[in-house]
Amino acid sequence: MIELAGVHKAFNHGRHNELWALRDITLTLPPRQVTVFHGPSGSGKTTLLALVGCLGRPTMGRVRLDGSDISGLPERFVTAIRRRTFGVIFQQFHLVRGLSALDNVMLPAYPLAGDWPTLARRAAALLGELELGARASTHVEWLSGGEQQRVAIARALINDPAIILADEPTANLDSALARDFLGILARLAREGRSILMTSHDPLVVQSALVQRVVTLRDGRIVGDA
Amino acid sequence: MVIRPAVVALLCSSAANVAAVGGIAPSAIAIIRHWNLASGSERQLVLERRTYLISMLVALVLVTDVLALLLFVFNADQIAPLFVGAMCAVGTLNVNAYGFPSLIAHIAVFFAGSTWLAVNHVDVQAPDYPLVRTKYALLLGLAPVLIAACVLEWQYFLGMHVDVITSCCSRLFQSGGRGLGGDLAALPPRVAMALFYGSLAAAAVAGVAVASTRRGAYVLAAASAAAFAGALVGIVSFLSLYVYEQPHHHCPFCLLKADYGYVGYALYVPLFVATAAGLAAGAIGSFAHVPSLRAIVPRTSARLAWVAAAGFTAVAIVALVITAMSHLVLMSPGGAP
Repeated sequence: MIELAGVHKAFNHGRHNELWALRDITLTLPPRQVTVFHGPSGSGKTTLLALVGCLGRPTMGRVRLDGSDISGLPERFVTAIRRRTFGVIFQQFHLVRGLSALDNVMLPAYPLAGDWPTLARRAAALLGELELGARASTHVEWLSGGEQQRVAIARALINDPAIILADEPTANLDSALARDFLGILARLAREGRSILMTSHDPLVVQSALVQRVVTLRDGRIVGDA
Repeated sequence: MVIRPAVVALLCSSAANVAAVGGIAPSAIAIIRHWNLASGSERQLVLERRTYLISMLVALVLVTDVLALLLFVFNADQIAPLFVGAMCAVGTLNVNAYGFPSLIAHIAVFFAGSTWLAVNHVDVQAPDYPLVRTKYALLLGLAPVLIAACVLEWQYFLGMHVDVITSCCSRLFQSGGRGLGGDLAALPPRVAMALFYGSLAAAAVAGVAVASTRRGAYVLAAASAAAFAGALVGIVSFLSLYVYEQPHHHCPFCLLKADYGYVGYALYVPLFVATAAGLAAGAIGSFAHVPSLRAIVPRTSARLAWVAAAGFTAVAIVALVITAMSHLVLMSPGGAP
């Protein structure tokens, strides 16, 4: 369960170019739900996703995970929660060029990873589930956009997180690849994981997979269905 | 003023540390007055972000001050040849009225600073900042000591003139002399030995007991303070005699000289570290009831207790080695002095 209580987020706070990306967001996100943060560019949906995933801190308000405040924790505890709880799929994938798909998937498990062979088997299994087993040793820059995204999905799953965060996951995919992606998400949802996405893609927002759409505009919630 | 790299380093570090604490003080006051973890207000979130940085800065300041004690004593010994009548650090510290007060202030900062560092260490182990108010209140209490130490040190070094004839250690630490040094020197060796080894053994046993049972940190703190005093008494009263192999030379500072193999550092470093660890274990023991520290405090106390036990044991072993290797016969085989 994720709860946001009176969350505000300002960038360049107190400066002439101050920008309030989020204003007074109060929201409860139950577990095992597929939720989309929907809205036009600049509406604050990526910022909201970042605050939920401990990738940023609010300027005001609290973010709670299972009743415990995670927005005010010292960084060392936030790092542990981020690693244990969240798997993030970025819009631009952010894979490390020069490394193989397998190495990219294994990377977030460090420095707390167990022995290398066990981790490598788990990473290979994840790539296999996403039909990338044959490409495991290929450098990521040689993969197609769809393949790169599946590597990013496998990487998000390496620490077995309860919550998957995906920022505009279909923005760089054609319709067929976007449907494939939604199919993968449906499988993850069936496994009992919560999924939070930002998107303004109708294919995602109108998908049968999505149980809740939170609409944002100018940093405020204007719809919740 | 005597300009030496160590003197400049000490003056700069003490001034920089006081400036840093002065800069931190408003934030410390704001934390004490306005900290409210239940609030999600902008001010609270700013304080939460700031407290980690501030405690890092304070820790850096206090670590510098702790190390400065060593440099202060080393420097006092090294520049002794510059002053007429000075044979060791005692002569340097007697150059003006601020020498010994400055040393005492350094020692006070050492123990207070190391205790604060221990409190800070356990606080940052917990996710809910349980001691944030306490540690900044302690810091504000510590600030006057830091300022006093800085003022005394500047007065001491700025008022240091090489044309001053100073008095050497034999005048301060001679049996029958006036003051504490004379009293310690006049103490019968048998009593001093019992005090020295007895207090060290008691503190080491208390350390092992706390490390094993994770209880009794207050007893360890008291035993550590007693062992510190007992060790200093023993060093002046009998151990120094074994080092110098002279029955009337009681100076605890000549031990730091190269002539005696810097043996003083082998005694003082473990003694100070062990005492600081024992005191810190007692200080953090008072927070064992805090819910988020119930596991952290006993674990940290146990580690500190091991350090204390090891340090006091090391002092006793060094003392025994000194005694065994010395050619001085302080007591007859029958035990009479």
